[in-house]
Amino acid sequence: MATTSASCSFSPLLYPSSHSLSIRAKARFSTILLGQLPLIPNQSLSPIWRCPSGKISSVRAVTDAGPATVDPGQERLSKVPISNIRNFSIIAHIDHGKSTLADKLLQLTGTVPKREMKEQFLDNMDLERERGITIKLQAARMRHLVNNEPYCLNLIDTPGHVDFSYEVSRSLAACEGALLVVDASQGVEAQTLANVYLALENDLEIIPVLNKIDLPGADPDRVSREIEEVIGLDCSNAIHCSAKEGIGISEILDAIVANVPPPKDTASLPLRALIFDSYYDPYRGVIVYFRVVDGTIRKGDKVHFMASEKDYFADEIGVLSPNQIEVKELYAGEVGYLSASIRSVADARVGDTITLFNRKAESSLPGYAESTPVVFCGLFPIDADQFLDLRDSLEKLQLNDAALKFEPENSTAMGFGFRCGFLGLLHMEIVQERLEREYNLNLITTAPSVVYKVNCSNEETIEISNPSLLPEPGKLKSIEEPYVKVEMLTPKDYIGALMELGQDRRGIFKEMNYITEYRASIVYELPLAEMVGDFFDQLKSRSKGYASMEYSLIGYRESNLVKLDVQINGEPVEPLATIVHKDKAYSVGRALTQKLKELIPRQLFKVPIQACIGSKVIASESLSAIRKDVLAKCYGGDVSRKKKLLKKQAEGKKRMKAIGKVDVPQEAFMAVLKLEKEVI
Amino acid sequence: MLKTRLPVSLCHTSQRNPGIITSVLHIIAPHTRPRTVCRNASFTTEQQFEPTLAKPKEPPTSAYIHLPFCRKRCHYCDFPIVALGSTSSQPGYDNDPRISNYIQLLLREIKATKPVSDSQTPLETVFFGGGTPSLVPPHLIASVLDALKSKVGLTDEPEISIEMDPGTFDNVRLREILELGVNRVSLGVQSFQEELLRVCGRAHGLKEVYEAIEMVSSCEGLKNWSMDLISSLPHQTEKMWEESLKCTVDAGPTHVSVYDLQVEQGTKFAQLYTPGVFPLPTDVLSADFYKMASKTLTEAGYNHYEISSYAKDAYQCKHNLTYWQNNKSFYGFGLGSASYTNGIRFSRPKRLKEYAEWVQRLEDGTVSYGTSEVEVKEVAMDVVMLSLRTARGLDLKEFGREFGWQLVGTLCEAFRPFVDRGLVIPLDRDRRVLSGDDFKFGEGETTYFVRLSDPDGFLLSNELISVAFGVIAP
Repeated sequence: MATTSASCSFSPLLYPSSHSLSIRAKARFSTILLGQLPLIPNQSLSPIWRCPSGKISSVRAVTDAGPATVDPGQERLSKVPISNIRNFSIIAHIDHGKSTLADKLLQLTGTVPKREMKEQFLDNMDLERERGITIKLQAARMRHLVNNEPYCLNLIDTPGHVDFSYEVSRSLAACEGALLVVDASQGVEAQTLANVYLALENDLEIIPVLNKIDLPGADPDRVSREIEEVIGLDCSNAIHCSAKEGIGISEILDAIVANVPPPKDTASLPLRALIFDSYYDPYRGVIVYFRVVDGTIRKGDKVHFMASEKDYFADEIGVLSPNQIEVKELYAGEVGYLSASIRSVADARVGDTITLFNRKAESSLPGYAESTPVVFCGLFPIDADQFLDLRDSLEKLQLNDAALKFEPENSTAMGFGFRCGFLGLLHMEIVQERLEREYNLNLITTAPSVVYKVNCSNEETIEISNPSLLPEPGKLKSIEEPYVKVEMLTPKDYIGALMELGQDRRGIFKEMNYITEYRASIVYELPLAEMVGDFFDQLKSRSKGYASMEYSLIGYRESNLVKLDVQINGEPVEPLATIVHKDKAYSVGRALTQKLKELIPRQLFKVPIQACIGSKVIASESLSAIRKDVLAKCYGGDVSRKKKLLKKQAEGKKRMKAIGKVDVPQEAFMAVLKLEKEVI
Repeated sequence: MLKTRLPVSLCHTSQRNPGIITSVLHIIAPHTRPRTVCRNASFTTEQQFEPTLAKPKEPPTSAYIHLPFCRKRCHYCDFPIVALGSTSSQPGYDNDPRISNYIQLLLREIKATKPVSDSQTPLETVFFGGGTPSLVPPHLIASVLDALKSKVGLTDEPEISIEMDPGTFDNVRLREILELGVNRVSLGVQSFQEELLRVCGRAHGLKEVYEAIEMVSSCEGLKNWSMDLISSLPHQTEKMWEESLKCTVDAGPTHVSVYDLQVEQGTKFAQLYTPGVFPLPTDVLSADFYKMASKTLTEAGYNHYEISSYAKDAYQCKHNLTYWQNNKSFYGFGLGSASYTNGIRFSRPKRLKEYAEWVQRLEDGTVSYGTSEVEVKEVAMDVVMLSLRTARGLDLKEFGREFGWQLVGTLCEAFRPFVDRGLVIPLDRDRRVLSGDDFKFGEGETTYFVRLSDPDGFLLSNELISVAFGVIAP
């Protein structure tokens, strides 16, 4: 599927055997969920879209790393012994206050002067601020004094959303400790659990923090018990804080210094630095974020990327604080960035090890398991001329988003486009939105699909991520689909509603446990395809927003599946083809044709819309012709108003894809996602 | 139906030139030099226009005068009007200072306007639209005509039209108006059903309609008169529409304008009704009304020469043809009116106070008219949009010479499917209908015109014109 493969594919994530709660499969797939993330109301909806490399801020100070700096804010650049370095990240459920806490840490340590402070400083992409989520991880170096002794604290931010657990694993691998932030009024959520287990797998020291203790509903004791019971983490020293009110922030800093182990002092060994992130800057080439594990790197060094076997001169190295600030050297334990006029991100992939050309390390660090896309969709430019632009844009996005995969696809109905793989639906939505906003492309996105394994009559097994490519019924023996194990955490009041949801989605009930008196964990096994779509929406709406979920792939199972084709005006529309369970084919077919009838504007002629299995039509609707679209009056000499409206009408046509003679709007290609929940 | 519907508002008569606008123009800018039309840079690429400039404009030979006064605002109307309300003492408004003050303002505008051409090309058509121009005392109308005569002059036999509403004039007043040189009357009848006139909030009833028709049709010396009708009114039935059309034919005007109701934002109708939902007719019924009008009036000897206009031979409205044909220029004077001079379309302010300030600035010479440069594609869109409204259609040879043969080619290619479906008709030099196979374009080919078919093509004109827009501005 994927066109690219990561340079390193060994897994660094060894499972601690002692881990009693390792119910999660090793191949953990982040997931699903769409744009139903809460918008944080007080965030600015900036209409200005930043350049794709939205990471750097305009402030770049070049300073001497020596102690003589005048600006107190620059003190954080001064060197401390390795034993005084602490690298940590923050694990939290969406909305549990991670970004606010990070802001407060930056403020209290004087890393970001108050006047430059804007909310959620680390969330640089506008999309992140708009949605109130963190997508790309960010890093910040801070200075904190304990007993007048300076410590260097590196915060490496992690995304809170399950779709992005791949990014989480990257940042955790660069740390020795993590803050586990839990909302004291809510409790442990499924996604938090997933990330805590990732941290435990990486042998990180975990510091529990109960946030939002200022809220009237806060119950830190109950939540402490919950953490102890569910994760098995001692919470007797859990820090009570309110990031919003600034309570407990310095205690957190002190705890980091006290509890997180310093990196090993291996500065004298040959350089080994782990790339945990990179992005493409149009002016400077690829900028690499790394953690020095062994040795020292200096400005001007000739560096060698061990997996790609490329050599570059480190024109500039520096720290992230959180703006890029140039320094002369970084040694073991430190976190920084590197700019070396690297033209292609393939030369400096995330997970690769940087060493020195003149003193190469013997072996590279364990890299990262390549992220595996679970959700696929077709992306087609509405205007065929934009195909090359789309390719360039995807390549650029991929520079910043290693999880994005794509390969060319073409269909008679849609022309040339790409089949793209994503970590989940939120990921897919974000990529689509960035392509449209940052690269000015007009796209048709087809309904997402999972990867099916098709056992053909000739004993071959093929993988299909595009329903329209499913072989003829005569040529296939059976179809297997991916199954996931879903764990839902919910207040007990909603258990019934969520079990109903699991049942509706062809789920197999596995177990239910009360994790506390009031909250339960429900485990289902169900087809991934049933989760692609509105599952998360449903989970949230059926639990009034209180339930959370996590899922992991558990393998393939044979199912009785058929391909449902759609014909518009007699033309098969490949992007609308879906694979559905046979029992649901009729209801989905009916609902789909009805939905398409709503979504496709009437044309100048009658248009039949049909759903078929093979050559058999199972549902049919028809779109009546437009009877009248005329403006009798033309305002005499004043043509401007009429012209404006006709122009708008002409613009509207450009947003549609011509399928045969029928103009089909973008939304129609996602129709299958918009079906009434009863039929899915 | 997801398509955008274009708004139209209906005042009482067809020939008007009210304005509403956005662009800024100029009347004072260097008017002696021929209009220059700038080519848009993006435009010269690919299969777009050949680098010809749109030809310089002829000086205007038409003028629209807006007389905004009405007794009250009709429920469908969103035009720039001034509702006078009921007067307690006397029946008319002849001494109303609001009217005389406005005429003074109008005269100042005409006076301050510099003629487009030094050669003083006289006006061939003048149109008094409103509002309800028949509310304006004849001596004030005379003063406006005098001002026009001294400013640009009139030809020997100009077409001078005026909009008149039932219940606003008697035989004496009609004669006074005609004595000024007015030779065409447009009567705002709208409907022949008492209940529909009431629904519309018209200031007159059916009795006044018949009286007005009687006066106008029996008036000696008035050969040329028009009647306005509105279709798709709330509660209107097929039977009512049939009756209205029959009464119209019986009244025997030389010209009929039929408007399909458009529910405009901000009108009373917009508060009360939703298009396509009872009591408004469905799309299907509304389309049937249009077809009924086309059939009935054509059979009665009227030519359907424009989407909403019908005329007996030789009685097409010359004034309106300037708007639709060949990208002709015209003057506009008065509140909210639109003009097209020196290649620039401009609309005056729609509020009286702002219009007065604008006139003051015009006199001071401080009016900013904007740039005199217009993108070629904008001109091409105007030509397509306006000419496709007419039965004459789009003159491909002329269009090709002005905007490039390649554009004609892509335009015809885009229209081909609609030719096959009978919505667009190709015609040769002698206006003979060509078959789809003979629909070839290019400099030496036989296709000279394309027009929209009547009634099917006309009924879908927005769709078809927006297809052409997509070709012109891809």
